[in-house]
Amino acid sequence: MTATIGVPPVVVAPRPQRRKFREHLTPRQMWGNAIVYAVLVVIGILYIYPFLIEIFTSFKTEADATANAISLVPPTWSTAAYQQLFVNSAFPTWFGNSVIVTVFVTAGRVFFDSIAGYALARLQFRGRGVIFAGLIAIMAVPSVVLLIPKFLVLNTIGLYNSYPGMILPLLVDAAGVFIMKNFFESIPASVEEQARIDGAGTFRTFWSVVLPMARPALVTIFILSFQGSWNELAQFIISANDPNLTTLTKGVASLASGQLGQANRYPLKLGAALIMTIPVAVLFFVFQRKIMNTSDGAVKE
Amino acid sequence: MTTLASRASSGRRHHDGINRGQARSGWLFTAPTLILLGLFLVIPIFMALWVSVSDWNGNGSPFTSAVNFVGLKNFGSVLAGDGLAEQNFGESLRNNAWYVILVVPLQTILSLFLAVMVNRQVLRGRGIFRTAFYFPSVTSSVAITVLWLFLFSQSGAINNVLSWVGINGPNWFNEPSGIIQDGLAGLGVKSGPVFLTGNSFLGVSWWDWIGGPSVAMTALIFMAIFTTSGTFMLLFIAALQNLSGEVQEAAMVDGANGWQRFRFVTLPQLRPTLFTVLTLGLIGGWQIFDQIYTGTQGGPAGTTTSPAYLSYSTAFQSQNWGQGAAIGFLVFIIIVLFTILQRFVLRDRKVSKRRMRLYQLKPKPQELPTGGDA
Amino acid sequence: MQRRNRWLGAGILALASAVALTACGTGFNSGSGSASGTGLTSSKKPLTVLIGSSGPAETTAVTSAVASWSKSSGTGAKVLAASNLDQQMAQGFASGKPADVFYLGTGALAGYASSGDLLAYGDKLSNKSDFYPSLVKSFTYNGKFYCAPKDFSTLQLVINKSLWQAAGLTNADIPTTWDQLESVAKKLTTGGVVGLSMNGQYERMGAFMVEAGGNLMNADSSKATADSSANVTALTFVKKLLNEGVMKYASAVGEGDGGQALGAGKAAMTVEGNWVTGELSSDFPTVKYTVAPLPSGPAGKGTLVYSNCWGIAKDSPNQAAALKLVEQLTGAKQQLAFSKAFGVLPSIQSAASAWKSANPALVPFLDGATYAQGVPASKGSAAVLTDFDSKLATLATSDPKTILAAVQKNLQATIQ
Repeated sequence: MTATIGVPPVVVAPRPQRRKFREHLTPRQMWGNAIVYAVLVVIGILYIYPFLIEIFTSFKTEADATANAISLVPPTWSTAAYQQLFVNSAFPTWFGNSVIVTVFVTAGRVFFDSIAGYALARLQFRGRGVIFAGLIAIMAVPSVVLLIPKFLVLNTIGLYNSYPGMILPLLVDAAGVFIMKNFFESIPASVEEQARIDGAGTFRTFWSVVLPMARPALVTIFILSFQGSWNELAQFIISANDPNLTTLTKGVASLASGQLGQANRYPLKLGAALIMTIPVAVLFFVFQRKIMNTSDGAVKE
Repeated sequence: MTTLASRASSGRRHHDGINRGQARSGWLFTAPTLILLGLFLVIPIFMALWVSVSDWNGNGSPFTSAVNFVGLKNFGSVLAGDGLAEQNFGESLRNNAWYVILVVPLQTILSLFLAVMVNRQVLRGRGIFRTAFYFPSVTSSVAITVLWLFLFSQSGAINNVLSWVGINGPNWFNEPSGIIQDGLAGLGVKSGPVFLTGNSFLGVSWWDWIGGPSVAMTALIFMAIFTTSGTFMLLFIAALQNLSGEVQEAAMVDGANGWQRFRFVTLPQLRPTLFTVLTLGLIGGWQIFDQIYTGTQGGPAGTTTSPAYLSYSTAFQSQNWGQGAAIGFLVFIIIVLFTILQRFVLRDRKVSKRRMRLYQLKPKPQELPTGGDA
Repeated sequence: MQRRNRWLGAGILALASAVALTACGTGFNSGSGSASGTGLTSSKKPLTVLIGSSGPAETTAVTSAVASWSKSSGTGAKVLAASNLDQQMAQGFASGKPADVFYLGTGALAGYASSGDLLAYGDKLSNKSDFYPSLVKSFTYNGKFYCAPKDFSTLQLVINKSLWQAAGLTNADIPTTWDQLESVAKKLTTGGVVGLSMNGQYERMGAFMVEAGGNLMNADSSKATADSSANVTALTFVKKLLNEGVMKYASAVGEGDGGQALGAGKAAMTVEGNWVTGELSSDFPTVKYTVAPLPSGPAGKGTLVYSNCWGIAKDSPNQAAALKLVEQLTGAKQQLAFSKAFGVLPSIQSAASAWKSANPALVPFLDGATYAQGVPASKGSAAVLTDFDSKLATLATSDPKTILAAVQKNLQATIQ
């Protein structure tokens, strides 16, 4: 079981390892390798350099940022951007709101996805097929189409401008249910049989026997949900207009579009974007092996 | 399957009891998800349908007697009103179509290229490269857009690099001219032929339809490729590792060179993944919103609006809720149509299977296309 | 209470979802109707003031002004700086809980007023007669004076002093006609400097239309006049300057607006509003500049005026207190304080002389009030202007007549 962020994960079955050619490199192959390295290094720099610019520019003065947009080390280090962000703006509030929403959405999705996935994978009940077909159909509805009506629904049921209004719609996660269902189907049924024979109820069986085995899939859902809710923008635009409920994405977007003042203020904006990137970057590095092991798992076998 | 088989052994009466309990638990377990889906996906669709055929003006509830049914008026003014609404919608379609036309193939090719490169067994440090290529995909579109606004500003990093090779870079996010029209202007064609400028579709002249994405949109196109190629690269890597090694080796024994092996052995086997990547790219491509909300708000000169953003701004900023909802539905229809079209174009063709079988069963080196020396 | 309601709302989730559709909409309350003698709602509820702030200076100034009113009146009030005013107001109106008092531009008035979102309180203002008549007109819709003008701004010619002197020009050379403008722009245009730079949008170039005797609509926005020959003359003049290279849009010199182009030394002159003074002093504190009246066109002097008013929501449960707050905020003392803090012009005549003596260098902006014209304010005109702006971006290579004909058609469509 491996996962990628943002798309349904792919199951990689262990394969018999291919023959290695590393031992007998001809000069021609060595040249080929050198070229591949060169190409990859260039592309790698293209991918990473922008983030380095982001980091270092946030410590520049405004004049420097515009004058030397491509250089890294600031001639004079300045933390003015961060002082402005943390002392003189609502940035801490935005950050706090993002944390709250992300924690609830992640916890909620992990729980709801796994129980629904389990029901669809293992429990025999009338209507299961219909539910499953419905989930698939709903996965196809693009979320931006629903911006207006989601606002109307939140408004109608009185959840507009509230944390539940920001969180609940994000708990809808057909793809996550799908992932969990697939995973549970790959667990041998004999495990639950024993628990049932011992007289455990369905929820007990699920909770204390099956769920602990589902760690890899749960981690997948965790990563997807964390990243998804931390980076969400549209849902927060339509679910609240109270500045006290502004999340990082919404707040930084308003900074970027200059709605809070006309000057460029690049260090400030880049600093805000940088801080906003840190939690997902930490998540990424913590679970890097998990996210990236698409190949290594296969090779190690 | 195993569940059914093992349950059958546990006696009939017991079986019934379990079934009833399971039915209850099944519904109970799926209930939260179903209710949320119903509330935030199914009901909204019907509410949007009502708003799209109503004259609700954004004051109070849309479900009062003060709000009237206006039929297809909102759809009409967007599709054939001969006014600003039609023109704005036409422009947003034009912008987004170019975006999709460029982003989807480019990101697919790049991610496949990166996957193949990074997947080479002989390559050391694969992990580092993978991390580098994938990292942009985890960051939020808002943060990346902020970064992009800086990189592509008049005196930004991109124009700095361009100036090294003597190019005076454009003011990216403020440049509304279409890149194809710019190219033609460079060749001396300043304005289009009359049959192109004289005819229009959805309020946008044919000349502007084929004018290409604006320079500003091009910057967003680069951004999309930058942020999505990593994700799709991982999909391709996973698929590459699932490939049957035997076929590869058979082809290698046959003396096929690297490109031939890729083109005639690897690529056909990647078809399902390719399909996934193209579908996801296409669906995502028609939904661009965050970048526009954060970065350009549709400007310059309306050349970066997308139908999704137009739907939002029409409703939430111009208070034209009915029209906004109508545009939302049109986006939905577009996405469905394109997905169907693509499924049709990429349907499994027999020919590739035959070619695969060629390698598996009858190794005949002389039948290999000769495209280079091995 | 509020909190409970929300959790109640969450509880509805547990109900069959279809019920929610018909659940009579707890979110859409129809406003409290407790009318007192004035016909205004009144309650103990605190006021929310939503502002579209230009920056920290404005937010701080308004916050402290509202706080001091709140203290003296005993009515609670808090100021919120909107990150996206239009969107937040639209959501507020739709949810039945809009901010009580809010910034409202001329462009948005018609839309909100026709939807029944606004309280038309203008005639109840005790200081009604003190406002400039042109501003009162700007906030009158269907014969009703809706809201008190908050302040206003006009466009004038702003000149970078050092570039001006470097070109060998003196005060006597300050242009008073289009021809003079063209000739000084030529003199000021050198390698890295363009003579004149401004945003390529109607909100700047419209001033030339007024100087030529035109404008996009008539004074009360009941008739589109975009395709008049005066407007063609104005755009043809601007097109000529663009093609001569003596004028460039701010975006073409890589700046966000004319003020930044001027401050960065990329343009010697710009057409900007009085807000430019704040921008210049904060971003380019060392740049010296002069403000001169815009040169006269074929029809004499002309400029555009912009204004916001203090809108009061019809759904506000405490309209009476809101009115009191607005009266305080539009008083002479408060307006002069705002002007000092973030560079706006007071909307009342009684504050004019005090303002002029405090800002002698900026007098042309205030004088503009007498001959300025407003921008189109019919419902949906904002979208037409956006489209017009996008066409103006390519003015140098297009035909002014064609552009104006399209605007004419679109504007006429907004009034049907």
